[in-house]
Amino acid sequence: MEAQQGAGSSISESRRDHLLSITDSGLGYMSLEDMLSELLERIRDALEVDTAAVLLLDEDRGVLLARAARGLEEEVRQGVQVPLARGFAGRVAAEARPIIIDLEHADVVNPILRQKGIRSMLGVPLQAEGRVIGVMHIGTLVLRDFDEDDVALMQLAADRAALAIDDARISETRAVTAIMQRTLLPEALPEIPGMRFSAKYLPAGTGIKIGGDWYDVFQLTDGRLGFVVGDVVGRGVLAASVMAEIRTAVRAYVMQGHKLAEVVSMLNDLLVSMGRNRGATLSLLAFDPDAEELEAVVAGHLPPLVVDPNGDPRLLEQKAGLPVGVRAGNEYEAFHYPFPAGSRLLLYTDGLIERRGESIDIGFQRLADAAAAAARHPKTNLADDVYHALLDEMPLEDDVALLAIETLPLGGPLEMILPARAGVLAGLRSTLGRWLEAAGANEDEQFDVTLSASEAAANAIEHAYGGSESDFTVSCEQGADEVTVTVRDHGRWRTARPPGGGRGLSIMRKLVDDVEISSDEDGTVVKLTKRLADRS
Amino acid sequence: MSQIDFEQIDGMVIAHLKGDLDAANAAAVQRELAESLGPDALNLVIDLSRTRYLDSAGIDMLLRFSDRLDHRRAKLTLVIPESSQLNRLLMIVGLPEAIAIHPSLDEALAGQRSGEAS
Repeated sequence: MEAQQGAGSSISESRRDHLLSITDSGLGYMSLEDMLSELLERIRDALEVDTAAVLLLDEDRGVLLARAARGLEEEVRQGVQVPLARGFAGRVAAEARPIIIDLEHADVVNPILRQKGIRSMLGVPLQAEGRVIGVMHIGTLVLRDFDEDDVALMQLAADRAALAIDDARISETRAVTAIMQRTLLPEALPEIPGMRFSAKYLPAGTGIKIGGDWYDVFQLTDGRLGFVVGDVVGRGVLAASVMAEIRTAVRAYVMQGHKLAEVVSMLNDLLVSMGRNRGATLSLLAFDPDAEELEAVVAGHLPPLVVDPNGDPRLLEQKAGLPVGVRAGNEYEAFHYPFPAGSRLLLYTDGLIERRGESIDIGFQRLADAAAAAARHPKTNLADDVYHALLDEMPLEDDVALLAIETLPLGGPLEMILPARAGVLAGLRSTLGRWLEAAGANEDEQFDVTLSASEAAANAIEHAYGGSESDFTVSCEQGADEVTVTVRDHGRWRTARPPGGGRGLSIMRKLVDDVEISSDEDGTVVKLTKRLADRS
Repeated sequence: MSQIDFEQIDGMVIAHLKGDLDAANAAAVQRELAESLGPDALNLVIDLSRTRYLDSAGIDMLLRFSDRLDHRRAKLTLVIPESSQLNRLLMIVGLPEAIAIHPSLDEALAGQRSGEAS
């Protein structure tokens, strides 16, 4: 006891210098690679050992990877991997405590340690925010009894290294995350007359703000609208990169005009052939506005929820195919559902409804109730309303992605606020046509009113203030034996117009019974009225 | 994305329009048509069988294109099936006085040929 204390105090002079060399703030200005090398060199000097190494934990694969080494450079060059809980470093990481061993009697996974002739080793865990992120170890070619001071100094160096590694990882992850989030989710949801889209995306946890959940909306080659919601196993940058591959592949196959079921089975084969070893679940749907029909393919994902125009919710519990990315050759099946105007569709990931220790059926019921309530009494938008109803009181345990698609009811008056862009005209005509049909207009009348309104809308778009940023409004009302469509914009109706504009006006006057144009500082209002022949 | 499927029959270009022709795509369609004809003075048949709506911007474009072909001593013909609402619309604006309209592609091709012969 005395002898040890004496030795301890006599060493402490030089230890203090070593302590300073290890905590030197100058280390903080180096790159992570240089910093680790320099730190290991100083530890080798300070503790008079032959080898020093840092291994970092790859949480996704459950292995430690050699990252920096002194006297053991082969370890890094050969990319040594040590499984968690096995071998010397694996045990240090798994038990999260310093371990000292004598190699003659120890289980060592890494052959380089034996080849080098290392006899004694000391390993300490690298920890950040209470989690083990790696291991730092030292070794000697002669037998040595590492003492408490050695352990304390090593732990100090390990903490210094852990801090630097964590900082570097966070800034690297932040940069990657920022880029990925920009590219992974649609920049904006589409603006389509007669439809409303809303979405929510919330990665759980702090720090790495990216999960394996995603959603996407796109146009199909046949004019239908496509929707995807999915969930890649795991989280973090790796899961996100697989998600990005899936998102791109789905869009690419859809653009080539493949059927939905084919898209999913091609995606599955692609992921398996790329050897990603990460399963994913997804729902791929397409909505046909003219046929008012929904087509759905499900790959191991939770069933989509539809709320019908009466407000009754139902899960589309169809035969689901297997998750993608696990086994090649899976077949998928598409199912069709009516989706009349006034219907709502909710696509979501499990984080929205699953609670620890609770049956999933309770989650489905809660979702159905929340969606029905949100449909009856809308507050902001469907995705927001459902999200708040389900998760406001709950800590977020898992990532959540939620996409809501609503088709506006066509029974009564219809009002649409549209961006002043010519691209909305086709969708506007499609919605107007369906509204007029519901209002009892025959084919000629549907054509006449729709084309006239399209002319008025094209004029509003052409003369909109602020170019693409401004809006215009189209409202439809049904009288006893007539329909009225009103187009309001914030620009001035030009009386001196090029020939095209004049033709537009004369077409309107001939196709509908009354065209009323009024213009003031606020903008121009074009009111089109058409008497309907047969309202039986 | 292309708005038109093209084919060539007997030195004539047939342009099958895939959908509506309106203020949103009239300029792009005009460009595609011009590219398909190139510098040659080819006759052009525009098939509007799949077109449900044609607005004033689309009509202007057809008239401009017809004038342009006239200058090159070529001819523009439209195919519009009898059942199409477009017939009523084009009557209203007097388009048949400027551009020949046929109810089917066969009749349009025959009309173009006889036009050449006369």
